[in-house]
Amino acid sequence: MIFDIVITSLIKGSTYAMLAIGFSLIFGVARIVNIAHTAFYMVAAYCIFYTTTQLGFNPILAIFVAVILVSLLGLITFKLLIAPIREHEAAVLIATIALAIALQEVMMILFTGDYRSVPPLVPGFATIMGVKVFYQQLLTFVSVLVVLGLMYLFLQYTRLGLAIRATAQDREVANLMGMNESQVAMLAMGISVGLAGVTGAVLAPLSIVEPHMWNHPLAMMLAVVVLGGLGSIKGSLYAAFILGTAEALVVFMIPAGAYLKGAVALSIMVFVLLVRPAGLFGVQFEEER
Amino acid sequence: MLEINDLTVCYDKAMILNGISLRVDEGELVSLVGPNGAGKSTTMRAVSGLVQWEKAQHRGNEGDITIKGTIEFMGHPIHRKPAHKIAEMGLILCPERRRPFKEMTVFENLRAGAYMIKDKKEAEHNLQNVYKLFPILQERSHQLSGTLSGGEQQMLAIGRSLMCNPKLLCIDEPSTGLSPIMRAEVFRKIMEIKAMGITVLLVEQEVSMVFKMTQRNYVLSSGKIIAEGSGEELLKDEVLRKTYLGM
Repeated sequence: MIFDIVITSLIKGSTYAMLAIGFSLIFGVARIVNIAHTAFYMVAAYCIFYTTTQLGFNPILAIFVAVILVSLLGLITFKLLIAPIREHEAAVLIATIALAIALQEVMMILFTGDYRSVPPLVPGFATIMGVKVFYQQLLTFVSVLVVLGLMYLFLQYTRLGLAIRATAQDREVANLMGMNESQVAMLAMGISVGLAGVTGAVLAPLSIVEPHMWNHPLAMMLAVVVLGGLGSIKGSLYAAFILGTAEALVVFMIPAGAYLKGAVALSIMVFVLLVRPAGLFGVQFEEER
Repeated sequence: MLEINDLTVCYDKAMILNGISLRVDEGELVSLVGPNGAGKSTTMRAVSGLVQWEKAQHRGNEGDITIKGTIEFMGHPIHRKPAHKIAEMGLILCPERRRPFKEMTVFENLRAGAYMIKDKKEAEHNLQNVYKLFPILQERSHQLSGTLSGGEQQMLAIGRSLMCNPKLLCIDEPSTGLSPIMRAEVFRKIMEIKAMGITVLLVEQEVSMVFKMTQRNYVLSSGKIIAEGSGEELLKDEVLRKTYLGM
C-alpha cells in the first residue's frame, strides 16, 4: 500500500512537474496564460497512438515525431493566434481556451471519442516489495527526470537559456541588454509546448487516450502552478510532487477516492489562494514602472 | 553622437515631455538634472526605446502613449527602432533603481550584459575589465545579486551595462538611496568610465557633485529644458539655483 502510493505519487508528480514547468516557462517569459497547454499534451498522445498503432512506427521514432509536430503546432499557434493579441491578457485566455476545445473536437472527428490505448515501450513489470511496477512506469519517471535535467542545463548554461531567465525576471532590462523579447517569447513557447508534447508522449502508454484527457491534468497543472507560485519553475517542481502525493493519498486511502481527485486539486488551489496567494515560491515581478 | 529634437511624450493625456531638445557629443560627459517628476527618466526610456516598447505592450488598451519628435544616434534615427536594436547600436541604458536580475548571481548578471557579444574571448576580456573597475564584483561573483547592498547593486548595474562595449552609456540616477561615501565612489567610477573613452549621459538629482564632473548640463523641469550650461553658469542664476537645483 505505502509503496503503491509512493510509485503513484512519483509518476503523477513528475508528469505534473513537466506540464507545470512548461506552463510556468511561457508565463514567466511572456505573461501568456496558455490554457491550451495540456491540449498539446493530448495531441502528442494521439500522435503516438496514430503513428505506433496505425502507421507501425517504432516507438522511439514516434516520440520524436510527436514532440516535433507538437512543438511546431505550438510555434504556429504563437505566431497566428497569440502574438496578435498578446497585449490583451483576457483575450489570450479566451483564445487559448477556444484552441483547447477546438483541438479536442478535431481529435473527436479524427479518432472518435473511443478510449484508445498505446502499447508500452517496454512491456513487462518487476515486483518490488510486493508491488507490481511496470517498466513503462519506471521509464516514464526516468525520462521525466532526464528531460528536467536537460532543461536545467539548458536554462543554466546556454545563451538562449540565459536570455529566457533574464526575460522572465525583467523584460525591460532584458530589452536593454539587446535581447529580442518577442523572439525569446516565441522560442520559449516552442520549448514550453515541446515539454507538454514530451509529457504526452511518455505518458500515453500509461493512460487512456481520449479527447477529454486534457481536462484533469489542466486542473492539476493550474493547482500546481498556484501552489508553487506563478512563474516560478522551482516552485512548480516542488508543488507538482506535493500535489502528486496528495492525489495518490486520496485515491488510495479514501474509498472511491478516484472520483475525488479533481476535488483535491481544486480545494488545494482555493486553500492556497486564501492563505498565501503568492504560493510557495511566488516570484515578485519587477513591475514595469 | 546623440541628438534629441523636439521630443514630446504623452502618457494618455498627461504630457510628460514637452518638446525637449538636447545634444551629446562624442567623448562628453553630459548631465540631465532636475526635480522629481521632471521627466528625466522618461527621456532616458524614450532614448533607449523602452517608451516605444511600452507603447507596443499597451496597444489598444487604455492609457495610450504618444511619441513625437526625433532622436538620432550616430546619424541614424532611432525613435522608431525597437529597444534591443538600439542596444545593438551601442546605446546602453543603465536603468533607474539599478534593477539587477535578482535571482541570478553577479557573474550571471554580467554574462547577461554580454548577451550581444558572441565572441567568447571578447566577453571574457570585458568581464576582466569590469572586474578591474569594480573589484567588489569579482569578490561577490557567486552571490545572488538580490543580496547585494545598494551600492554594490549600482556597481553591478553599471558593470552589466559596460559588458557589451557601449558607445554611449546613459545612467539613470545612480546615487539614489546611497550613502554620501558610496555616492562619491560611484561618481568616481563614472569619471573613470568617461576616461576610458565612453560617452556618458548622466541623469541625476544630486547636483553638487555632478556639476564638478561635467562640462555641460541640461536642467529639465515639468517636461521642458529650462536651462543649459556648465555647472558654474547654472549656479550663478539665483532663481534657477534655488527653485530647481535645491541649493
